Amino acid sequence: MAADNRINFWRRNPKVPGSVQPVYGAQHPPLDPRFRRTYPKDTKPKFNNLKSKKASTFHEFARSTNDAWDIDDEEDEDFFLTPGPAPSLSSGLHSASTHNQVTTGHKVHNLQDVQEEERDCEHVNGKVVKSSSETLLNSSSVRSTLKKQQSLPVRPIIPLVARISDQNASGAPPMTVREKSRLDKFKQLLASANTDLEELRKHSWSGIPREVRPITWRLLSGYLPANKERRELVLKRKREEYFGFIEQYYHSRTDEHYKDTYRQIHIDIPRTNPLIPLFQQPVVQEVFERILFIWAIRHPASGYVQGINDLVTPFFVVFLSEFVTEDVENFDVAALPLDTQRNIEADSFWCMSKLLDGIQDNYTFAQPGIQNKVKALEELDAGTLHHHKYEVEYLQFAFRWMNNLLMRELPLRCTIRLWDTYQAEAEGFSHFHLYVCAAFLTEWRKEILSMVDFQGLLMLLQNLPTIHWGNEEVGLLLAEAYRLKYMFADAPSHYKR
Amino acid sequence: MQNNHHKEHLYKILVIGDLGVGKTSIIKRYVHHNFSPNYRATIGVDFALKVLNWDQETVRLQLWDIAGQERFGNMTRVYYREAMGAFIVFDVTRPASFEAVTKWKEDLDSKLTLANGKHVATVLLANKCDQGRDVLTNNGIKMEQFCQENGFVGWYETSAKENINIDEAANCLVKHIMASENDMLQSEVPDTVTPQLEKDKGGTCSSCFRSQ
Repeated sequence: MAADNRINFWRRNPKVPGSVQPVYGAQHPPLDPRFRRTYPKDTKPKFNNLKSKKASTFHEFARSTNDAWDIDDEEDEDFFLTPGPAPSLSSGLHSASTHNQVTTGHKVHNLQDVQEEERDCEHVNGKVVKSSSETLLNSSSVRSTLKKQQSLPVRPIIPLVARISDQNASGAPPMTVREKSRLDKFKQLLASANTDLEELRKHSWSGIPREVRPITWRLLSGYLPANKERRELVLKRKREEYFGFIEQYYHSRTDEHYKDTYRQIHIDIPRTNPLIPLFQQPVVQEVFERILFIWAIRHPASGYVQGINDLVTPFFVVFLSEFVTEDVENFDVAALPLDTQRNIEADSFWCMSKLLDGIQDNYTFAQPGIQNKVKALEELDAGTLHHHKYEVEYLQFAFRWMNNLLMRELPLRCTIRLWDTYQAEAEGFSHFHLYVCAAFLTEWRKEILSMVDFQGLLMLLQNLPTIHWGNEEVGLLLAEAYRLKYMFADAPSHYKR
Repeated sequence: MQNNHHKEHLYKILVIGDLGVGKTSIIKRYVHHNFSPNYRATIGVDFALKVLNWDQETVRLQLWDIAGQERFGNMTRVYYREAMGAFIVFDVTRPASFEAVTKWKEDLDSKLTLANGKHVATVLLANKCDQGRDVLTNNGIKMEQFCQENGFVGWYETSAKENINIDEAANCLVKHIMASENDMLQSEVPDTVTPQLEKDKGGTCSSCFRSQ
């Protein structure tokens, strides 16, 4: 036995790393521009004009980045006009791109043509969209601005992190005809006496317009009934029920039995989204504490598990966005009427609870849901990670992908967009997420294969450079996930258990 | 076998301890030389690399920052594998986190031993010492005794925030890792040198003794 140990011990040692890699450590989300991913299939040099384009003033910078995520929001999603239930993806994609060429003219969205499209998109509508130079500018500026944050308590300037919502209300460009008709379709569905949830899912799969996202999420999560007449009543009853829990149980956070749970939550709340000012407001932190504590004591099989705190965030931001016309990230929640604050809190609690109902085995003892999915990811991954060479284990990076539903790997705006689809999918959070993770891993194939040692590979995998990601990238990711799902649907050995 | 002038060492080091005691902050301070009061909670494991010059040799430390919440405890075995040393961290302002130290040490020792059957070198860190000393760490003799009884090679009062004793603690750990590595090489019967050994890793090196 001792001899075996010795062999194991030494086996690692000959692998002396070949180069000194920059150390990213435990920072999330990744901020280093040097790892910036070129989009989409790496035809551009990685380190181009990093320094050549620096904004001389913040205003100049802000102007150039204004609403970068808004412009092609709905257009990106043209890939998926026939998502979800459609049996064949390829036909769906084909018709989608054809359609797109007709409606958007010079902006051709098509899996093969995206490269060209990116070159073009610098001048769309006279505004700078996601041009490569701008992205670099963003990435390189973010560090210095993050540092400034602490000394600037009032509306800190954090342009990148700040864009937590994928669409901003203010300063958004006028809607295209197609966006308008999409929105109208949603409104029509939502206004009918009995909302056709199947139809709503179908339309939501490719992204939900900002204006109707809060109510659509409430419906898709199963929190609100399809019957329009009953909605008000259900809302009223559920909100009262939640505050009944608070009244009944929240004081027990100091009890011997619960104080450890509360302490853990209390430690985690200030460090949930630490870079977004919204979440540093005491009133917001208290909301999170109540939601998480009540959920934890009502679910003793799992209790509070780190990562669940992240899962409240998208709901809170989306439900808050109903009442905010400016940037959500700097909004002073205490300025809202108390009733409104309470409604946002209760709705966030219930929607989060519905989500967690579907993935509770991610958080119970030994976290079987996560272990199974990490194993399944390993099976799904066809050679992206040459782990035999460097012995990186999937658990070393993918555990977090599962435990936090990729929230640590993606900007919040992307998570919100991702959840449109997860809630439109039948088992979005519990099952489809696996395919999204597989697609996500494949996305970085080139970077992964270029890594020359264990350290570099693991640090890349733990700090994937997605800071510039928006709806477009998420759309492509979802398309690939969708393809994988159907490819493996008939392979029983894959992820059947 | 000893003709290599420039030796390279690669050590995997674990950083463990209860949730919120400052493991990530210590690593950030050590590797990046900075501090933030609000690092996000570590999920699973985070990885960082520190390169040291050590007596004209290069020492690379793989620092494994392991999530502190109990629920994740099932995963620790995977993360511990092949580590050569560990820091166990507690928060001096939270006595419960000190009580968990022995639990972490037992977890570590039960899941990880060196090739010679010995436990890996472990240094105890009493972190957040800038926020006031607690009764326990005030009593150096008691702490020494605690370390002896529980198999720690040393302990340090540290502050990631104020950059106190982090480098010192790391140097202490590296020193002990080198010593135990040397120990193993010594006890190895020369005939059984395994073919996997790289040349510069084999045999003994007098420089390992120097730092002892």
